[in-house]
Amino acid sequence: MKRILSSVTDGKGFDIGLVVLPLGFLFVMSGLPLVYNVVMSFQEVDMFSLGSFVRPFVGFRNYVDLFSQPETRPILFNTALFVVASIAGQFAIGFGLALFFWTNFPGASWLRGLFLVSWVMPGLVVGAIWNWILSGDFGVLNFLLRETGVIDGNIFWRSDPNYSLWAVIIANIWLGTSFNMILLSVGLSGIPKDLYEAAELDGANALQRFWTITLPMMRSTIGAIIALGLIFTLQQFDLFAGITSGGPNNSSNVTQYWAWDLSFRQYDFAKGATISVIMIVFVMLASVVYVRSTRHEVRG
Amino acid sequence: MDIRRYAILGTVALGTSLAAFAASAEDVTINVWSLDRDIQPAPNLIKDFNKLNTGIKVEYRQIQFDDVVSEAMRAYSTGQAPDIIAVDNPEHALFSSRGAFLDLTDMIAKSSVVKAENYFPGPLASVTWEGKYYGIPKATNTIALYYNKDMFKAKGLDPNKPPQTWDELVETARKLTDPAANVYGLTFSAKANEEGTFQFLPWAQMAGGSYDAINSDGAIRALDVWKKIIDEKLASPDTLTRSQWDSTGTFNSGNAAMAISGPWELDRMLKEAKFDWGVALLPVPEPGAERSSAMGDFNWAIFANTEHPAEAFKVLEYFVSQDDRMFKDFGQLPARSDISIPETGEPLKDAALKVFVEQLKYAKPRGPHPAWPKISKAIQDAIQAALTGQMSSKEALDQAAEKIKAVLG
Repeated sequence: MKRILSSVTDGKGFDIGLVVLPLGFLFVMSGLPLVYNVVMSFQEVDMFSLGSFVRPFVGFRNYVDLFSQPETRPILFNTALFVVASIAGQFAIGFGLALFFWTNFPGASWLRGLFLVSWVMPGLVVGAIWNWILSGDFGVLNFLLRETGVIDGNIFWRSDPNYSLWAVIIANIWLGTSFNMILLSVGLSGIPKDLYEAAELDGANALQRFWTITLPMMRSTIGAIIALGLIFTLQQFDLFAGITSGGPNNSSNVTQYWAWDLSFRQYDFAKGATISVIMIVFVMLASVVYVRSTRHEVRG
Repeated sequence: MDIRRYAILGTVALGTSLAAFAASAEDVTINVWSLDRDIQPAPNLIKDFNKLNTGIKVEYRQIQFDDVVSEAMRAYSTGQAPDIIAVDNPEHALFSSRGAFLDLTDMIAKSSVVKAENYFPGPLASVTWEGKYYGIPKATNTIALYYNKDMFKAKGLDPNKPPQTWDELVETARKLTDPAANVYGLTFSAKANEEGTFQFLPWAQMAGGSYDAINSDGAIRALDVWKKIIDEKLASPDTLTRSQWDSTGTFNSGNAAMAISGPWELDRMLKEAKFDWGVALLPVPEPGAERSSAMGDFNWAIFANTEHPAEAFKVLEYFVSQDDRMFKDFGQLPARSDISIPETGEPLKDAALKVFVEQLKYAKPRGPHPAWPKISKAIQDAIQAALTGQMSSKEALDQAAEKIKAVLG
């Protein structure tokens, strides 16, 4: 007894405790719901069997049904487009801003801080505001584009199936850019200045310095940001609820919004779970990238 | 087992029976859930009821609109359901078909307060499942055509002759549409949620269609008219993503000359609309055609696993006995044809309410069907596919009929 006690206060037992506590927490709060979700996708679930664990198993029927629905493929494609375009936009603009503020003009850190306001705003508020900006008849965006002569007639961002997904992507890029910028700024400030001084002495121009120093030194940060971006983008729900509700005719519907719609609007919990399982696979891939790219950071 | 253990068991048993005795001497507690806020009927009626000291104590819990069904399901399946709940009428059948709600048919037959014949047919149909009553309509609403009389005059139209038929509606909308002044002829909602179905279904029903015959010729014709209105830009393309509330907002600000919406707009319209307006019955396919309209609002129901069905019904009887206060105190329309709506002193509002009460006679429930949300989703997708030009009205409604057939089984 005493040996166990002393091992807990000082020794191996303490180490094990340190590992077991968070692992247990993770298992209960994330692991179990995840497993439950996967199990549910193989069951027949309706609202009255929602409270019990014993439900008829139907094998892969939910998956087969799901992929036989005409809207499934377009929605999966929309999701892929939404993720790629959002991440590309957020990253490109975020990196640009990070480099801009890195030049450290007076007030740079202030301005950088202000950019974070967009990240702090609740998604539903952002959705409601972009809903107005993107409005076809009275929207600010259309007004600006019209006044600058880019377009002749109004674009119905939310209601035209050719634009509806892009409407949400634009809002999402705005929302995520500042987060990308801050993380990239942190990465930039971690690059030792003497590298640049040495390169400059060797006669490397700005572009060469960027390609041969900045980018390679930022590799792990960039990997982490893209992985996090993938996760945040796959989580993005509020903007869809606020701007298009997935319409018109599912042209801006994505898996995360669809899963909610199936579960909580149509009460088809099994199908909602099935979509979530498909999403989990993609998030797992992102997690692997994230863990790999941050691995040597942890080792210090 | 030693003597001490017996003693403990005895004490525990005595304690429980005492507690049970104490409880039976106390009031019966009835739990009520609804989404009504403090200025709306449920909490106020409950306060008044508790003052009567009938030996029944009512406890109230407010739930959010989006949570009503999922909260109720979770509570029911874990045995923690309230005694009474208010549910949105298209979702009533979901519960009654599965026996989750108590069959009130016999209680209503014996009741001197609740009389089935007092109710409008639409709301009553929404609480009915297989010929039995599983609830009592709480309030009701419907949609009709608002129109801007000043704009009618400005375009040389008779402000006392609103359009009666679909053709007249399209024709009037054409005359009223004025892109230079940012005015659309009509505004309504074809949003990808229940609101889209709510607005479209009456049109299909007027032409002889229904949710289980959504690709009938009449329904296709109805969708073609909608498509014409959108294609000719007689209504904003944003009709596809705007709620009824936002759409009618453009009517109030003078950016649309006519609007299809419900009585919930009246108070805001009185405040915001700086022009003379009126309300007309929904236009019909041709003169003399069957009328129809949408039907909204909530129903009361008693959960089947309540321990006090008789007391719960008494509470509902009290709510029903106060139906004549529904409009005066809370601005909601009672679902009853035997209660006349008192004058409000606002001439515009009073005239509008007369039309809405008339329209209520033709209001039809959505369903009732336990899988209504899936049926509704199929209809929404069809409306949007046709209006965006991705499919013809017929193709879109054929696809919807296919999906609905799979749901109906």
